[in-house]
Amino acid sequence: MDMMTQSMTGNDSPSMSEMQDEAAYLGPSARCVLFTLENEIYGIHVKKIREVLRVGIIRTVAGTPHNVLGVINVRGVIVTVIDARSMYGMPAKEISDYSRIIIVELDGERAVGMLVDFVMEVKDIPESKIEALSATKENVSRYIQGIAHFQNNVIILIDVDNMFAGEE
Amino acid sequence: MDEEILQDFLAEAADLVDQLNEQLVELEHSPEDADLLNAVFRGFHTIKGGAGFLAITPLIEVCHRAENVFDKIRNREVAYDAIVADAILRAFDVISDLMDLLKDGVREMPENDPVLLTDLDAITAKNKPPVVEEQIVESPLQLGEGVDPDGDMSEDEFEALLSQRDVMEPEDDDANLGVSTVELSLTEGVDPDGDMSEEEFEALLNQREVLGPDHSNDEPGSIVLAAGVDPDGDMSEDEFEALLGQRDLLEGGESGDVPTPLNVKGSKPQESVPAAPVKSTPKPSNTAAEAKPVAKNTTESTVRVDTRRLDEIMNLVGELVLVRNRLLTLKGAGVSLEDLANAVGNLDHVTTDLQSSVMKTRMQPVKKVFGRFPRVVRDLARQLGKDINLELKGEETDLDKNLVEALADPLVHLVRNSVDHGVEMPDVRAAAGKPKTGTIVLAAEQEGDHILLSITDDGKGMDPDVLRQKAVEKGMMDEIAASQLDDKSAFELILSAGFSTADVISDISGRGVGMDVVKTMITKLNGSIEIHSVLGEGTKINIRVPLTLAILPTLMVGFDEDSYAIPLSSVQEIFDYNPEKTNKIDGQMMVRLRDRSIPLLFLSEWLAPHQTKESYVGDKVVIVSVGNQRVGLVVNQVNGQEEVVIKPLGVMLKKVRGYAGATITGNGSIALILDLPGVVERF
Repeated sequence: MDMMTQSMTGNDSPSMSEMQDEAAYLGPSARCVLFTLENEIYGIHVKKIREVLRVGIIRTVAGTPHNVLGVINVRGVIVTVIDARSMYGMPAKEISDYSRIIIVELDGERAVGMLVDFVMEVKDIPESKIEALSATKENVSRYIQGIAHFQNNVIILIDVDNMFAGEE
Repeated sequence: MDEEILQDFLAEAADLVDQLNEQLVELEHSPEDADLLNAVFRGFHTIKGGAGFLAITPLIEVCHRAENVFDKIRNREVAYDAIVADAILRAFDVISDLMDLLKDGVREMPENDPVLLTDLDAITAKNKPPVVEEQIVESPLQLGEGVDPDGDMSEDEFEALLSQRDVMEPEDDDANLGVSTVELSLTEGVDPDGDMSEEEFEALLNQREVLGPDHSNDEPGSIVLAAGVDPDGDMSEDEFEALLGQRDLLEGGESGDVPTPLNVKGSKPQESVPAAPVKSTPKPSNTAAEAKPVAKNTTESTVRVDTRRLDEIMNLVGELVLVRNRLLTLKGAGVSLEDLANAVGNLDHVTTDLQSSVMKTRMQPVKKVFGRFPRVVRDLARQLGKDINLELKGEETDLDKNLVEALADPLVHLVRNSVDHGVEMPDVRAAAGKPKTGTIVLAAEQEGDHILLSITDDGKGMDPDVLRQKAVEKGMMDEIAASQLDDKSAFELILSAGFSTADVISDISGRGVGMDVVKTMITKLNGSIEIHSVLGEGTKINIRVPLTLAILPTLMVGFDEDSYAIPLSSVQEIFDYNPEKTNKIDGQMMVRLRDRSIPLLFLSEWLAPHQTKESYVGDKVVIVSVGNQRVGLVVNQVNGQEEVVIKPLGVMLKKVRGYAGATITGNGSIALILDLPGVVERF
């Protein structure tokens, strides 16, 4: 928790905890929100994220694609919520106390909510640690920007623009 | 090309184009009207000026020639006859096409049709020695007889602007600008760099503003010229100045480096007018190639709002804050119920007022749509050899911006129909004892919370018997059913799909959209359409649409927890579901209602497929009209009437059929608004 607040409130320079972990890394880094689905850690760049919400009432909409859970009311704006698990081919899971909806900004006006299992923290990931994913599984890797090996974790970075490209 | 300037230009020029559209046709009726001529001249001139800043060569070429033609007309060297009018209208079409292209994000303009340019030049050259070619704008001196304050003014103005640019140069770091200033050849109106900085543009605008009033005595329209607003009177002037003021405020915030001396110089622009150099070398421009292609193709959609309206809203928001403060203080200690009731009552008032004020900012005069009709009627009447007079009434009626746009197409279709099928040929009219000139009246008026639009012609009207017969021929109904139709229902037959009016009423083929499409479009707007016709006397079509699309009166219905909203305008009646009154006909459940069978749609099959229902007893049937048919929707509960604010459904849901949007109900939950045509399609 301590680490999280630090990295959230700090500016672009690496936070204390990272200084300790990563010696004195000063290169460019990407600040990401990390969350989990099943056992994997995923990251989305903070500039794409508007807010993270607890799961309230999700209004189902009949006749929608299966990965659409429904719509929620975010301060007067109707936002579609999709199940991030089904986007990545995982079975659906009961909503728990840890579940969160990440509101992702697609462009100035459009936003979409992603239901995830658990939101961990905000972290600066050095760009040198990010490697592009080899293009093997076409459909899945369309969503994946790259993979970061960082602090003993494997973080899958999501390209939300690509993920929702062409959706209306 | 600077996108921001371009957007400003487009917004301004779009208004001008609308105005010109109307004025040009008006001019044909009164070609001697000097004010009108000046207004048209200024219109072209202002578009040219704007295009010049942005180096849109084809636009400049056309505007310039049109301007030249009108200069001749003003000086009575050329008459505005039908031939000239045709050429000018063609030029106008090119201009409006180019504007559309720009709006769509196209930045590489196509070349102009040389024939048009030559035609325009020919008109100008008619009474002129060939020396003065169109490439060179006549200087004020060359205007010769009949000193023209307008030409004078605009020339001065541009020269003043030019000279100011000269003065500015040294201060400006932008090297590009310096090189080209003198050759900014406003003659051609081309800025070879097309890269004027924003600050500069603002500064120039400022100077024009300052310039304006100096000349307002001898040239009342000069400010209007700059703004491109309606040439009649103070209002538009205010508007313009308010607009400029706003822009200045906006710009001032972000551009600290606006060269301040400009304003000072601007006050005496004429002193620095270099007469000779401006008339200089029109430079063939290769700027189109330089213009950067811009990927962004979304036009800013803007609304002009009267500052008084904004003040009103500001005032109400102030009130709202006061009420909030009051409620906050009430939150604390022991509150009397009366205080609370007062505060809440106050809140109620303020929010209601605020809502209507905000709504008003979205309102636009229906004139925006009507403006194009004189031209539509003129062209079509000419083509058909008919003599038609179009009257517009209630142009100032305000309508929601979205509605104004949505109504344009259906109205065009209806007016064309009136011209094409309604009004007879002059000789036929004469034979029938009617005046040779037909009249079409296009009217708008507010009727409670609706707008009534009507298209009335004094043409031949429709024969209900012919329509009945046609319906039988088309296999839409049998003869008995047809003979039972009352006249009004018979007229409404023309609204059904596949019932071409052209076949019935004239031999001229129907065009583009059929009446059924018109009907669908109007229904989509929650409007209704009504036809009255008297054989031999004419036809009147009434369209009613709600004042605004943003707020929708609905009937809330529910399935367990989930609520849905049905547009109230479609709801006809509600009654209890009674299995004894239903029949299964050809696999379709029907309910009997006053000797008619109406198909039933069990919404729960679609909206709540997981629950299996044994019996629908206790459910309600909501009879709605969808297009021309009636269907009964079977719902769990009817929760009453509610006015809702329509919100678009989110990403990935736009294509899901059956929903018109969503709304947030009083308790904060989401209700889905049903789109009835979509619902019917689903079943």
